[in-house]
Amino acid sequence: MRHPGEPALGPRDAPERFGDWVDRIKRTATGFSVRTKILGIVLALTTVLGLAVTWQVRSVMTNVLISELDNRGRSVASDLAARTVDPILLNDTYRVFETLDDTVANHPDAIYAFVLDPTGSVVAHTFGEEGFPTELLGLNPGEGTTEIKHNHLTGEIGRFHDFQAPVLDGRAGVVRLGLSEARLTDVVSGITAQMLVTTLFVGLAGVAAASLLTWLLTRPILDLVDTTRRVGEGDLGARAAHWADDEIGDLAAAFNQMVTDLEANRETIRETETARTRLLEQLITAQEEERKRIARELHDTVGQALSSIMVGVEILTRGGDDDLLRKKDEIQSLSRETLEQVRELSRELRPSVLDDLGLAAALDRYAQDFEVRYPEISVDLHVNLSGRLQSTVETALYRVVQEGMTNAMRHSGAHTLSVLVTQSDGSVQTIIEDDGSGFDPLEARRNGKSVGLHGMAERAEMLGGTIDIESGKEGTTLYVRVPV
Amino acid sequence: MGRLTVAVVLLMALLAACAGVGSPTQFVDLSLRQPLPDAAEAEVRPLRIAVAAVLSPEGNIENYADLAAYLGDRLGRPAELVQRRTYAEVNDLIANGEVDMAFVCTSAYVAGHDRSEMELLAVPEISGETVYFSSIIVADDSEAATFSDLRDAVFAFTDPISHTGRVYPSFLLQELGETPEGFFSATFFTYSHDRAIEAVADGIADAAAVDSLVLDNAIARDPALADRVKVIHQSPAFGIPPVVVPVDLPVELRLELEELLLSLHDDPAGPAILAQLGIGRFIHGEDSAYDGVREMVEATGIGR
Repeated sequence: MRHPGEPALGPRDAPERFGDWVDRIKRTATGFSVRTKILGIVLALTTVLGLAVTWQVRSVMTNVLISELDNRGRSVASDLAARTVDPILLNDTYRVFETLDDTVANHPDAIYAFVLDPTGSVVAHTFGEEGFPTELLGLNPGEGTTEIKHNHLTGEIGRFHDFQAPVLDGRAGVVRLGLSEARLTDVVSGITAQMLVTTLFVGLAGVAAASLLTWLLTRPILDLVDTTRRVGEGDLGARAAHWADDEIGDLAAAFNQMVTDLEANRETIRETETARTRLLEQLITAQEEERKRIARELHDTVGQALSSIMVGVEILTRGGDDDLLRKKDEIQSLSRETLEQVRELSRELRPSVLDDLGLAAALDRYAQDFEVRYPEISVDLHVNLSGRLQSTVETALYRVVQEGMTNAMRHSGAHTLSVLVTQSDGSVQTIIEDDGSGFDPLEARRNGKSVGLHGMAERAEMLGGTIDIESGKEGTTLYVRVPV
Repeated sequence: MGRLTVAVVLLMALLAACAGVGSPTQFVDLSLRQPLPDAAEAEVRPLRIAVAAVLSPEGNIENYADLAAYLGDRLGRPAELVQRRTYAEVNDLIANGEVDMAFVCTSAYVAGHDRSEMELLAVPEISGETVYFSSIIVADDSEAATFSDLRDAVFAFTDPISHTGRVYPSFLLQELGETPEGFFSATFFTYSHDRAIEAVADGIADAAAVDSLVLDNAIARDPALADRVKVIHQSPAFGIPPVVVPVDLPVELRLELEELLLSLHDDPAGPAILAQLGIGRFIHGEDSAYDGVREMVEATGIGR
């Protein structure tokens, strides 16, 4: 509703309205289901094609039949003109009538025939006794016409064709013949009806075929939609059925692969989660163990030593010179030992050489200590680094090597350990190899006995690195790569 | 919705227009019928000229139309040619005064004259002669050489009272002591001389008796005809077919017609009209010229 003051629809508004229309059509067209769209397209195509072909055939046939009717009319009229010359000239009106009547009776399309004399009076006609449709006389072409004339007329009986053939070049008069289009129209209508029925059947067959097609097309899609919903609800065991080896089949296969991967990932996450929980527990336990050990160590060594020193000092205050001298030596020796034990303890907890001299020196020291502590295992260490690394990287790699060597010592029964640390292309690669009995890394991770392994992996992953384990009867090789 | 509706309506209108056949046509209601008016009495009575069916109706129109037009023009009234299938019907027209003038056959004239129905108006003169013959013709490849060779032939008569086409051959048979039914295997009437010639040329008839003037004219028009038919017998000369008028024709009209015919060859339009008729001029004729014909008609009893 436009208000009086509102400007009339200007040309600038037209594109907006057109755009609105396009939007509306798009929304309407895209709002239907695939089934409806395909059915609609098939139905529209068959209908348009059927109607177009019907119309084309109808117009071509009509033209051909009318042209044929015209030719026939000309030849019949010309024949009539030739056959009526003599009876007209001889004033044999009855024979003229007979000739006309026979022609009309024997020609299915003929509706009338009559003869006019040169003055335009009717000589004979086939209209019977009720009279003559005088309107036809107005169409007389006049005398002297030597060619057959032809008019398209419409009457109460429908369209008809009037032919005018001059008799003896018009000197004896004119023969007029009327041919109706009724029979022709019947034929065309019959064929049109047949074609429309055919179109209808083809349309129905098309709809049936399209229904089948859309069912074939949409069934796997709907199945896929259903499976997606189930996966979304957490049922990772759900799989889309494989209906056919087509694009939709590929989609279903890809979807199933995705769900499988998702399931595997979730399993991995759960395993990692379990291992992490266990690690936390063991870390706490290990911390307590370590505190106990340090407490016991302090109590057994430093505590004992300090008690002895206190007792020695007590004796010093009470004893004579000889005792004093002997005790002084004892106390000095004891203090030295205690100091050494405290240093040892301190180094084990955190080797200061790692902070002071770097990873290479720390590993070297550790390997020497390891060989001293476990004489049955020989360690072959090669470290090839261009310089100091980041402190976190150095600590992580030190702990990884420490853990790897400890694991090998504890579980594999190896005699030789080879450790290789090299730096290249922005990463540090560490290889720890033993000639022990080997183990199944997956199994070890799964049953939770591999806190050490897991700790190594965690350390490597924290730095964006990777850890790979190859294990067999000839031994185990641990590959650790950390970017620097 | 408006624009879409307009588009659909336009499309349908276009389809409907294309589906319609041809251009709009005049409406004629064939059920609107009226009794035809009786032929109105002409304001001016036309000059009616009867032509006996010596030639086919079409041939007569070709030959006599110009003469009729000329006479009508000179008399200041339309002229029309009247034809009938047989000579007898033409004679009836003359007897009843339905025509003003007629070209008739000799034996038809003799019969009409002797019944006091018609009078001689003029006769054509061809190459200075006022006679004609009956020619007995056969196909060019026929073995017949004389009339008597035609036994068991199929014979075409022209008109039942034609002198050259029926009376003369019947007279010949009478002299041979034969009848047409006994002598010929079959006979039929062609009702014109040109059709009789065609019947022989086309082999429909083995022989025919025809007007020598018509035969000469036909050969003059179509020289190839001379190779298809040949004359095996020619009659003695008969008075030429005359121009007659009814006995009760007003004297003034009769005199006017006589004058026009006799002076036709002097008129500028005359030679062309006369050439169309195949004659030189019209001259006075005498009834006695037809006594030979009269004898044969008497002898055969045909046309009486």
